[in-house]
Amino acid sequence: MHIQSVRRYLLQSNHNSHVKRIIVGLLVLAVFGFASKLIFAPATFGDLGHYRAKAILEEANLEPRLMTNESCLTCHQHEKRKHLKGTHKTVSCEFCHGAYFDHILDDKKIGTLDVKKGEEIRVLCLRCHNKEIQARPTDKIKTVALPQHLEEKRVRTTHTCDQCHYVHAPLEYVNLAKKMMRIKDEPEKEPCP
Amino acid sequence: MDVLSNGAVTTVSNFVFPNDLHVHWSMMIVLYPYITGIVAGAFIVSSLYHVFNIKALKPVSRFSLLFALAFLACATLPLLVHLGHPERSMNMMITPSPSSAMAGFGYIYALYGIVLVLEILFIYRPKLVQLQAGSAGWMQKIYTLLSFGSDNVTPESLALDKKIIKFLAAIGIPMACLLHGYVGFIFGGVKANPTWSTPLMPVIFLLSACVSGISGIILLYILTKKYRRESLNLECIKTCFNYLAGFFIIDFTFEMLEVFSHSYLRSGYHHMVEGLLNGPLYISFWVAQVFMFSVVPLFLFGWLCLTRVKDRLYILGTMVTSGLLLLQVLYMRWNVVIGGQLMSKSARGYTEFHPQWFHKEGIITAIILMSLPFIVLFFLGKIFPFWLEESE
Repeated sequence: MHIQSVRRYLLQSNHNSHVKRIIVGLLVLAVFGFASKLIFAPATFGDLGHYRAKAILEEANLEPRLMTNESCLTCHQHEKRKHLKGTHKTVSCEFCHGAYFDHILDDKKIGTLDVKKGEEIRVLCLRCHNKEIQARPTDKIKTVALPQHLEEKRVRTTHTCDQCHYVHAPLEYVNLAKKMMRIKDEPEKEPCP
Repeated sequence: MDVLSNGAVTTVSNFVFPNDLHVHWSMMIVLYPYITGIVAGAFIVSSLYHVFNIKALKPVSRFSLLFALAFLACATLPLLVHLGHPERSMNMMITPSPSSAMAGFGYIYALYGIVLVLEILFIYRPKLVQLQAGSAGWMQKIYTLLSFGSDNVTPESLALDKKIIKFLAAIGIPMACLLHGYVGFIFGGVKANPTWSTPLMPVIFLLSACVSGISGIILLYILTKKYRRESLNLECIKTCFNYLAGFFIIDFTFEMLEVFSHSYLRSGYHHMVEGLLNGPLYISFWVAQVFMFSVVPLFLFGWLCLTRVKDRLYILGTMVTSGLLLLQVLYMRWNVVIGGQLMSKSARGYTEFHPQWFHKEGIITAIILMSLPFIVLFFLGKIFPFWLEESE
């Protein structure tokens, strides 16, 4: 009897019963929203600012993946001799080869890092040496456009960069070849405005 | 990466920083203000009838709300496609940040959605009660739910509904303005970008929203009525068209004011914006947005609003003008969103944007996203009858 009267009350249609139901619905929605905030908001959110305070600790405890050139060159003595003398001496090993910890973990070799070859090396070199990137300081980083650069140097346009430039010391063999062939350097032209 | 790897110097001019080469906010971010603009504009049409009592707009007053709801339902999709990780979208609701304009979107969008849905349900209530009585099975359950289990349509109840509708429509106007003004503000608030950073941006966005919304309503009203071989209410079309003319004239004036005032003042970044509009954006801004889709419609407005034109020709003219204006607003969004990113922060160089067909945010995705609101509208039409009957 009691349930039936509640049911009748709930389903009756007064002139404003739909409005009451909507207000109840909106209140339920608001309570649901607030409850969701309490349940789903991350635990330490807002403790220190508008972020998860625990995130700082988590970031600080991440295993490192990258090391310095010093670590790589400890073993790679040949590259050390070339790299530290060439114009690429400030370029990080990992920039081209990938992360140190994919190669060495706990002083043991766990994998072989990538050595770019062929067409891939062209893409790699152009990441820095592309004339397209005109914001480069040209006195520090030489930029080229392909295939114009290859045409100027009178080599085949299919040549890849490493056929002339040794990647660890890009000008070493070029300068040696110039010396042997007694080619005098032409002054570098300023890039077109 | 294409630009970087092929090495050909064709797409970039002058001095562009490496991190400015790529346009990060691409077509999805063009669609987002376009869709929300249509929502706000369509709502304004309905409010003109419900709040300002412009009786001639009665035939489209209900349809415009459903039109707005269908587009509102899809307004967040471009953002979700662009950002990825849609499961994280609710984080902005559960960790509200009052100092971030971007984070405010979730609340503005949700509140506006509630107001819009409630207004539709109140306006349709007598009709829903009638449909509930005449249907069976699942449809009857849906109609019972949508009319909140109340079949009371006494004059007392309808009078209460009318007051509530007026209230909802009245608070809906500032909310629609807030929703779309906010989108303009997001761009206007980026002070590092000279083409976006202007207090006029929310105003221009709002006015162009009204233009796209009203154009969409006119076009769809005529097309559906023609398809169903029903008679058109010419008075309604004329009133809509006159409002469209008014909104568009103010909108276009502000758009040009922004360009020409900077041009006359020769302000800080003028040389840069001038180079952008006359360079990479020449076709899409001057030729398309300004000439083809603004100046041509202005002449069409002059012809159709100020002279006596045969009815058939008038209807054709309104359809063409509305179509052109929908494109005008789309081009305007494109020129603002993508155009604004074609300048490098160096203030010395421009990059280019080439849309791709099959990219995650490419042309195919854009077409699918723009057709979704129409699919939603089709299903809404199965539940809520778009058009008033003679007796209503």
